[in-house]
Amino acid sequence: MERHVPQDWSPRALMTSATSALRPVRNPRDRQRRSPFSRWVRRHEAVVLALVGIVVFFTVWEVGSRIGFIDHFFFSKPTDIVAAAIREVQIPRFWNDVRVSVTEFVVGYLIAIALAIPLGLIFGWYKRLSYMADPWLNLFNSLPRIALIPLLVLWLGLGTESKIAVVFLGAFFSVIIPTVQGVRTVDRRFLDVAHSFQASQLRLFTSVVGPATVPFIATGLRLAVGRALIGVIVGEIYSQTSGLGVMIVRANENIQPDRMFFGVLIFTFAGILAVVGLRRIERSFDKWRPATEER
Amino acid sequence: MAAQPTGLVRDDGALRRRHPRSGGRPRLPIRNEPLVFGIIGFILILILWEAVVDVGLAKASLLSSPSRILTAASTDFGNGSIWPHIGVSLLEWAVGFAVAIVVGIPLGLLLGVFRRLGMVVDPILSGLYATPTVALVPLIILLFGIGINAKFVVVFLEAFVTLTVSTMTGARSPDRRHLDTARSFGASKWYTFLSVTLPSSVPFIVTGLRIGAGRAIVGVIVAEFIAANVGIGFYISLNGNLLNASRVMLGVLLIGAFGVFIGVVIGRIQRYFDRWRPAIR
Amino acid sequence: MTEQALALRATGIRMEYRDPATRERLTAIERMDLDVHEGEFVSIVGPSGCGKSTFLKIVNGLLPATDGEIEIRRTGKGNDHAMVFQDSSLFPWYSVIRNVAYGLACRGVPRKEAFDRAMPMIRLVGLEGFEQKYPYQLSGGMQQRANLARALTVDPELLLMDEPFAALDAQTRELMQVELIRIWSQARKTVVFITHQIDEAIFLSDRVVVMSARPGRILADIPIQLPRPRDLDLKRTPEFVAYEDQIWRLIAKQLTPETAVTA
Repeated sequence: MERHVPQDWSPRALMTSATSALRPVRNPRDRQRRSPFSRWVRRHEAVVLALVGIVVFFTVWEVGSRIGFIDHFFFSKPTDIVAAAIREVQIPRFWNDVRVSVTEFVVGYLIAIALAIPLGLIFGWYKRLSYMADPWLNLFNSLPRIALIPLLVLWLGLGTESKIAVVFLGAFFSVIIPTVQGVRTVDRRFLDVAHSFQASQLRLFTSVVGPATVPFIATGLRLAVGRALIGVIVGEIYSQTSGLGVMIVRANENIQPDRMFFGVLIFTFAGILAVVGLRRIERSFDKWRPATEER
Repeated sequence: MAAQPTGLVRDDGALRRRHPRSGGRPRLPIRNEPLVFGIIGFILILILWEAVVDVGLAKASLLSSPSRILTAASTDFGNGSIWPHIGVSLLEWAVGFAVAIVVGIPLGLLLGVFRRLGMVVDPILSGLYATPTVALVPLIILLFGIGINAKFVVVFLEAFVTLTVSTMTGARSPDRRHLDTARSFGASKWYTFLSVTLPSSVPFIVTGLRIGAGRAIVGVIVAEFIAANVGIGFYISLNGNLLNASRVMLGVLLIGAFGVFIGVVIGRIQRYFDRWRPAIR
Repeated sequence: MTEQALALRATGIRMEYRDPATRERLTAIERMDLDVHEGEFVSIVGPSGCGKSTFLKIVNGLLPATDGEIEIRRTGKGNDHAMVFQDSSLFPWYSVIRNVAYGLACRGVPRKEAFDRAMPMIRLVGLEGFEQKYPYQLSGGMQQRANLARALTVDPELLLMDEPFAALDAQTRELMQVELIRIWSQARKTVVFITHQIDEAIFLSDRVVVMSARPGRILADIPIQLPRPRDLDLKRTPEFVAYEDQIWRLIAKQLTPETAVTA
């Protein structure tokens, strides 16, 4: 941004008269006409530039791989990955892997929600109980849950159960901690309003605590998706029975980078989809709040 | 929380005081409730755990117990066999995380300040952010071998994306009023960056550090699970295979302690940089 | 009134926005012509959304006008203009003294010298002893004092004030008005002051410019012939009340039920 008052201020102009010492700040007739196309681009700048970014990324990968700038042996190239994907989806084993991974994710995630939300509400409401749980919650929260995988395998075996448990642990703490926080930080004034109307405990919960906590829970649910996905992958890589994580490891061992990247991209898209979906839900619960600039 | 009467309720003709949240039961006043009840809760679970195992309700070989973990700790720290694992893991974490900081924060600032550049890179960063980087660990090990270099790369990658995205978000969102102020005083671009953009990104950078540090720990563990012959992740998975629950728990606890420690350190850093903000809580 | 040099001349200022959602053109300011003489205290009042803050931002160079010209006198010593913003625009991450010295720092004045030059202004606005505090540690009134000091430190030709006391409670606001008169009489700056409080405008100003509801234009330019120095008792004199009444009538005519709802 240029300074809007020119610095070269001629002393002669200053001396002649008072009004001649005045200078236009800017000549405002600088609104050039723009073509409809460039105006459209300007309006949708973020989307256009994002598309440019994606296209550039894949083009560089593809071309770089073809001319040998990128090691095709390790990094494959987008067209190969698409080809591998087409081959892969015709194999029953692939769908079995998908089924296993999806089951682990969904079951673990749902159990985590079903336990974390009610427990979080209870802990948040009964302060002393939550103080008692705090050290353990904090310990588990600052502990990468995947470190518990060997232990879970020890307890539950190499099958689906241990992986569901990993997913569960990943998601559970990400949901319960914000839930507790949400209940604890309910604005005193709203509670006072409810009390002054002699609201029952139940009504207090449904009219004040619930709405105030929902955004926190929604945030927790969103964070939990990432943790749960990591749980699925690491759990499967660790025990190497079946699932998409195993597919990634096998593809890697057999030096099939195209297959491997296909597997990784499935997780990428799953993550993006889940997060976008949950953010949408988050927004719909947040209707009563002023919109904040957020990415 | 002190019980205070909010209203007077007419009930069977008499006036009665009501306590708003305890339903009429007065509470014992206890100072520093979080600490007192925290300690109670912590010890209660430990005792319960020990008791369940000692009474024979659960197998010690699977569940271990606080006393058995202590024994394992005194053995492994006593003969020093655990130190190499701790040392290597710490090194992997520190180097990878440091490189992530050195690269991630400046890059994030750059992408935040040059908005259009940021918009171009955004989908790739978001994609990387959504990709569980642990899925790339097998590839990285294939590329860099099972030595320490692969671990540096894994840790770097885990922390770097978080740091960059978080810093970029911060650098994009300085307060309009503060930017207007800088402009109205004729601040140069560089000075606007130093006096407005950078300070307002600090909270985001610190958040990035916090999350990045955690992800870096995950990176260390996963890389060591998959291919290593030393390190705390290796120690855990080895003892898992040997069905030694106590040592597994010990390793897990060490990681947990490190996580808590890092949380405290970053909390300190945060408080230092946030000294210009009203204390929260 | 003696013919004094012009400090600011705005000619035919017009401001249009385009609503990014509906793509409709909104005229915020239809036409503004304003001359402000050196040393004068001019207030602009008008109903909410009449474009008075927009006008100030145009003068300040923060917004480009759709049409028209702004001319500002410049003698060359300090900055040509400085802005005192609405509620706190102090940088929360800087101490009071660094905030007050900010304008100088922007011009590349070394830290030590900038602080030395900031101190007299901190004293002038009555914030001595608070130099090392952070903004959050100050009350709203004190923050606006610091805000004022920051603008004064660059020794501006023209001081622009955008509803600086809007966020303050009634008592603090009156106190700050008295303080502003004191500071103004010492610093002798040309001031353009935006407010929606009629009594504030009359109390402070040599002239009150009344703006219409959107699209904004000037309805009246009323010289305030009340003696100086002024104190709060002035607000209860019949002359003062007469001015208040005159301006209120002008503005009240602008307030349709519709604008009253959105205000």
